[in-house]
Amino acid sequence: MKEQKMLENLRLMTTIAAIMRFILIDKVVEIETGRRIKAVKGVTLAEEYLADHFPTFPVLPGVLLLEGLIESASWLVRTTENFAHSMILLEEARNVKYKSFLAPGAQIEYTVEAKTIEENVSSFSGTGVSNGEQIVEARFGLRHFNLADKDSTMAAVDAKIIGEMKKRWELLKK
Amino acid sequence: MAMTISREQVLEQVRTVMVDALGVDDNEVKPEATLMGDLGAESIDFLDIVFRLEKTFGIKIPREELFPAETLMNNPEFVSNGKLTEKGLNELKAKMPHTDISEFAKNPDIGKLPDLFTVGMIVNFVESRLKAA
Repeated sequence: MKEQKMLENLRLMTTIAAIMRFILIDKVVEIETGRRIKAVKGVTLAEEYLADHFPTFPVLPGVLLLEGLIESASWLVRTTENFAHSMILLEEARNVKYKSFLAPGAQIEYTVEAKTIEENVSSFSGTGVSNGEQIVEARFGLRHFNLADKDSTMAAVDAKIIGEMKKRWELLKK
Repeated sequence: MAMTISREQVLEQVRTVMVDALGVDDNEVKPEATLMGDLGAESIDFLDIVFRLEKTFGIKIPREELFPAETLMNNPEFVSNGKLTEKGLNELKAKMPHTDISEFAKNPDIGKLPDLFTVGMIVNFVESRLKAA
């Protein structure tokens, strides 16, 4: 039993590490608590995943465009609920559309509007625009919680994650 | 094995594939809908779509036959300055005989390539495969 718990925790830690490694926005340029956030990301040739996607025509993968929208929304949630939850995950994405490609040298501006932000769930609609061109749009829902909700021994992990997110916010906010 | 299945029936089944693979609603999957721009498909989804089409219609679809984009995008002889070269266009024509690419060929901007991938194009492809079977 103890081993199973350790394995579960290990898997959880790996997931959290992976999530924390993702940074698909560079700067939050505008924020209206509870309602709306705008963030930008510059695409550079140095981003590793571009080497394969594609060798002769590097463009940001669609999932990472969506990730930019999700991260923007997550920061809106965090600042609105004052960093109450460590985990903010995608619950659902609908009507995702990839209208144009985004290549190195370009900057995309994400605009995300909150439809609702409740204690543990929120829903948004978002778009990404670059140089006047629509790149991506989506409607999506997030859910937010603490690991300690299910397992009180994880409270320290929650605190650590929230601490890291607060530090990251200092870098992202304008 | 001759299959007498109507275009309407093929469309119906292709629609189900798209709904399952992309999580879109039935009514969004119109013949003129583009996979990326309208239905939100992206690189990862194309593999899933091919797999589901194979299962649904009992046909084999060799990699790159339905969505030749990857071969095109990986070969510098086919793409230059964000446009398909003459070689690239010929490769595209050969790989997609079931689609009219004449409009695209006038200005073969690789950013516009996804517009060729519509639901109708998939129906064309499946129909031609079923006839050949």
